[in-house]
Amino acid sequence: MQFGLRAKFTVTVLVILTVTMAATTYYFIHTSIERQEQQLHERGRALGRLISLISPQAILAFDYLQLNDYTREVSSQPDVVYGLVVSPQGVPISSYIRGSNTSLRDRIEAARPNTLPSTLQSLGGEDELLHLEFPIIHNEVLLGRFLVGMSRESLQKQIRRQLTVQMFVFAAIVLFLGAAISAVFRFSVLRPIEKLIAASDEVARGQYPVVEVTSADELGMLARAFNAMTDEVKLKQAKLHRQANFDALTGLPNRMMAFERITLEINRAKRSGERFALMFIDLDNFKDVNDSLGHAAGDQLLVDIGARLQACMRDADSVARLGGDEFLVLVSNVADEGEIERIAARMLEAASEPRELGGRKVVAKCSIGIALYPDNGEDVEALMANVDNAMYQAKAKQSGSVMFFTKEMNIRLRERMELEQDLHVALELGQLALHFQPIYGAASRRPTGAEVLLRWRHPERGFISPAHFIPVAEASGQIVEIGEWVLEQACRCWSGWRDRGIEPGFLAINISGVQFRRNFSRRLGERLSTYGIPPKALELEITERVLVEDHDQVAEELSSLRALGVRLSLDDFGTGYSALTYLKRFRFDVLKIDQSFVAGLPDNPDDASLVKAILAMATGLDLKVVAEGVEKEEQLHFLVTHGCDFAQGYLLARPMDEKAYASYLESGQADEPVCLTLPPTGETTAEEAAAVSFKTF
Amino acid sequence: MTVQFVRDRPRTINEVAALLWFVAMTAMPVARAAEGALVMGVFPRLNASETTTRYAPLADYVSEQLGRKVSLVTSKDFEAFWRGIEEQRYDIVQYNQYHYIRSAKTYQVIAHNKEFGKSTLAGVLYVRKDSNITSLGQLRGRTVLFGGGEDAMMGYIAPVYMMLQAGLKKEEFKSRFAVNPLNSVIGVYHKQADAAGSGDGAIEQPALKNAINTDELTVLAVSEQLLHLPWAVKRTMPARLRESIQSALVNLENSEAGKKVLKSAVLTGIGKAEDKDYDPHRKMVRAVTGTLSPQ
Repeated sequence: MQFGLRAKFTVTVLVILTVTMAATTYYFIHTSIERQEQQLHERGRALGRLISLISPQAILAFDYLQLNDYTREVSSQPDVVYGLVVSPQGVPISSYIRGSNTSLRDRIEAARPNTLPSTLQSLGGEDELLHLEFPIIHNEVLLGRFLVGMSRESLQKQIRRQLTVQMFVFAAIVLFLGAAISAVFRFSVLRPIEKLIAASDEVARGQYPVVEVTSADELGMLARAFNAMTDEVKLKQAKLHRQANFDALTGLPNRMMAFERITLEINRAKRSGERFALMFIDLDNFKDVNDSLGHAAGDQLLVDIGARLQACMRDADSVARLGGDEFLVLVSNVADEGEIERIAARMLEAASEPRELGGRKVVAKCSIGIALYPDNGEDVEALMANVDNAMYQAKAKQSGSVMFFTKEMNIRLRERMELEQDLHVALELGQLALHFQPIYGAASRRPTGAEVLLRWRHPERGFISPAHFIPVAEASGQIVEIGEWVLEQACRCWSGWRDRGIEPGFLAINISGVQFRRNFSRRLGERLSTYGIPPKALELEITERVLVEDHDQVAEELSSLRALGVRLSLDDFGTGYSALTYLKRFRFDVLKIDQSFVAGLPDNPDDASLVKAILAMATGLDLKVVAEGVEKEEQLHFLVTHGCDFAQGYLLARPMDEKAYASYLESGQADEPVCLTLPPTGETTAEEAAAVSFKTF
Repeated sequence: MTVQFVRDRPRTINEVAALLWFVAMTAMPVARAAEGALVMGVFPRLNASETTTRYAPLADYVSEQLGRKVSLVTSKDFEAFWRGIEEQRYDIVQYNQYHYIRSAKTYQVIAHNKEFGKSTLAGVLYVRKDSNITSLGQLRGRTVLFGGGEDAMMGYIAPVYMMLQAGLKKEEFKSRFAVNPLNSVIGVYHKQADAAGSGDGAIEQPALKNAINTDELTVLAVSEQLLHLPWAVKRTMPARLRESIQSALVNLENSEAGKKVLKSAVLTGIGKAEDKDYDPHRKMVRAVTGTLSPQ
C-alpha cells in the first residue's frame, strides 16, 4: 500500500503532535505529582506538628480520651489513613484508622501492638501510603511519637482523572490540529501540486496548459516556472515540429510532412470517394547550376521554384520539397487527367520562366511524373514509388516532359533493376566479352584498326544490346568498373597480338563521362606502360556530352591524354550539341559521323549536305573523319568522293570476337582490299592505318 | 488492643451551638445569679461541652418547675469549680461525694443520681488480664493510675481505701492521676500503669467501650456500694425552695418530659438523699486523707 503525500504529512504531523502532547502530559503530570506529593507532605507535617504541639498536656494528664479526640480529628482529615500516638516505648496509646480502607485496617489489626509502629512504617514504604512520624516532646522529655499515614489514593485518583482529562483534551487537540493541518495542506499544497500534475499530464499528451498562479510562495514560483517551462517547451516543440516537417530552405513541407498529408488525403479520399494526384517534379540539370553558379545560386533557384510551384496551386493543394531538386505536389479532388495536365503545364511554364541568378539569366526546366489515387496506388508507398517511376520516365524521355504513371513503367523499371543486378555479376561470371569491328581507309579499303565493342551474353536472356545495358551501368556507376575492364582487356589483346607478330593497328575505345573524371589519364598511362603499348595505338572516343559536364576538368584531362600521346576522337558528331566551340577549345584528332547521317546517303539531300559540310569543316580543321554505319557501296562512294578518311560498317566488315579478329588479322585479310563495287580512290595512308577506332557499343 | 474508627461526619450543629452557649455562660455566671436566677453548678467530670449538652435540659426543666430562671454553669477545671463552691456561687450543685463532705457546712444534700439503674456505685481497681495481678498486695511497688485527682471519691479515695485496708501504705505504690476515671482505665489498658482506680460503672461507659477493648481488663478489687453523686443546695436556701427543687428532681422519673431530661443527662433517675447517707464516704475520706476537710 502506498501512502500519498497528504497521508504521509498528516501522519508525520500527528506523530509529532502526539509525541509533543505525550511529553507535555508527562511533564505536567510529573510536575503535578511532585507538587501534590509535596502538598501531601506539607499537610502531613502540619497535622503532625499540631498534634505534637497539643498532645503533651493530654499525655501528661493521661487524658487518653482527649488524645483519642486528637487522633480521631486527625484521622478524619482528607487523605489521612491513620493517626497514632505511641509511648516512647512504642506502645500505642491512641490510634484511629480510617474505616474505608479495609485492607489496610485488616493488616493493621493483624499486627501486634508492639509491632504496630514498624508495621505502619513498612506500609509507608508502599506507593499508596505516606508514613510520617513526629516526636512529642515536653520540656525536652520525649513523651511519645505521633504517627500519621497519608494516603496517596486520592492523589493517584486525581492524577488518573487529570491524566484521563488531559489525554482526552490532547487527543481532541491532536485530532483537531491534524485535521486542520491536513485541510490546510490539502488546499495550500496538494491542490496546486495536483494542478501541476494534471498540467504535466496534459503536456505529456501534447497540450500546453497555463497553470493558474494563486500565490507568491514556493508553489506559486513553481507554477510560474512550470508555465515558463511549458512556454519554452511549446516553442521548442514548434521549432522541432517545423524542423522535422518543413524544409529549412524553402519553408515548404518536407518529405515527412508530405507523407503525412498524403496519408490524410488517402483517408479523406477513401471516405469521399474522390481522386487526387501526386506530381513528382525534378529539376533537369540542376547540378549544372550548382557547379557553374555556386550552391547559393542553386539554393536560390530551389526557393524560387518552390514559390512558383506554390503559386500555381489551389489552397487545398500542397507543395513539398522532398530533398535535393525534387518537389512533390498533392492535387486534391481531381476531376480528370486533363485537369492535371493543365496544372502540370502551368508548373512547367512557371518553372521555366527566366530568372536572374548570380548575375546570369537562367532558365530551369523540370520533369514531372504523375500518379493518381486510387488508380496508381492506394497507399503512400505505392503512390510514391509509382510517381517516382513516372518522373524517372519523364526525365529519361526528354527534358521538360510530363508523364503519367503506367503499369508498363513498372515493368520497365523492374527489368532495369534486374538488369542492374545481373550486371553486377556479369564481369565475375565472364558474361562480358570484347568484339572488334574493323575500320577501313575509305579510299584504300584496307583495315587500319578496329573499334572495340562490348558484348553481353546473358545466360537466360541471350544477347543484350549495349544500348540497353550501358545506360544502366552509367546510372548505377558500374560503368567505371566495366570501362576499366574494357580498357584492360583491349590492352591485353593488343599486347598479345603484337607478341604473336600480328600488327593489330589502332584500337578505338569509347570512354564514359563518369569514367573520364577519375584520374583516367594517369591510370591509362600506367596501363600503357604495363603492356608496352605505344600511345598512338589507342584512340579514345568521347561524346559531346562529356565535354558539357565539366569544362575545366575535361579540358585538364584531355590535355593530359594529349600529352600522353593517345589520339582523341569526338564521337557521334552531329547528333548532339555539335558545338564548334568544342572543336576549337578541345583539340581532337578524329571526328566520327554518326551512322544516322550515313544511312540517308547519298539520296537524302539533308544528310548528304550535312555530311559534306562536316567533311569540309574537318578538312579545314585538319581533322580526320570516320563514317559509321556504312552498309552500301553508294554510301562509301559518296564518302570517298567527298573526302572521308575512314569508314566502318557491315559493308566492310562485321564485328568479330577476339579470336576471330586475331585470325582475321593473321589471315592477311587485312591486307586485302575489301571487295567494293567502286574502285579505291588511292593508297591507304599511314594515318589511315593508324586511325584505328573501336566502340564499346 | 482495640481500635476505634472515626466516622467521616462533620460536627453537628448542636455541638457548635452548645459550644457557643457555653462560652457565653462562662463569661457571666455570677451576674445571672444575682439577678434572682438560680445557678446550677455541675462539677467538671466531663468537659464543658458535654456537661452543657447533658444538663442544660435539666436546668430548663427545674426552671420550669420552679417558675424561676435556673442557669447552668460549668467550670473549666476542678479548681475553678471548687472556688465556686467555696464562694457559694451555685444555688444548686452536683458534685462528687467528697466535694459534698468537704462543703457540707454550706451545702445540704437533697438528692443523688441514679446511673445505669443504680443509686450506688463502688470504687474499683482494674488491671489487665494479662498482668497476672490478682490481689491488692501485688500492687506493692507498682504504679496505680487513679481517675481524677486526690478528691475523686470513686477514682481515688475508694480505691486507696481498699488498698489501705489490704495493708498497703501510700508509699508502697506509685500514684498517678488521669484527668478522669475513664482515662485511668484506658491508661492501664495501654499499659501506662499496672492498675486503675475508677468507679464500677466506668467500664460500662460507651466512651470507654469505644476507646478500648474492655474484655482485656479485669476487676482487682471493689469497694462497698456508696450512694451516688449528690445534688446539694445552699443551706441558706429557703426550705420551701429546697423542697421544690428536691421534688422537681426526684419526680423526673414520673413524667415523660422528666424522662427525656434524664435521658439527656445519661441518668436513670434522681432519688432523695440526706446527709447521713454519706457517712460511709466520710469514713473512707477520713482513712485516706486523715481529715474530712483538707486545706
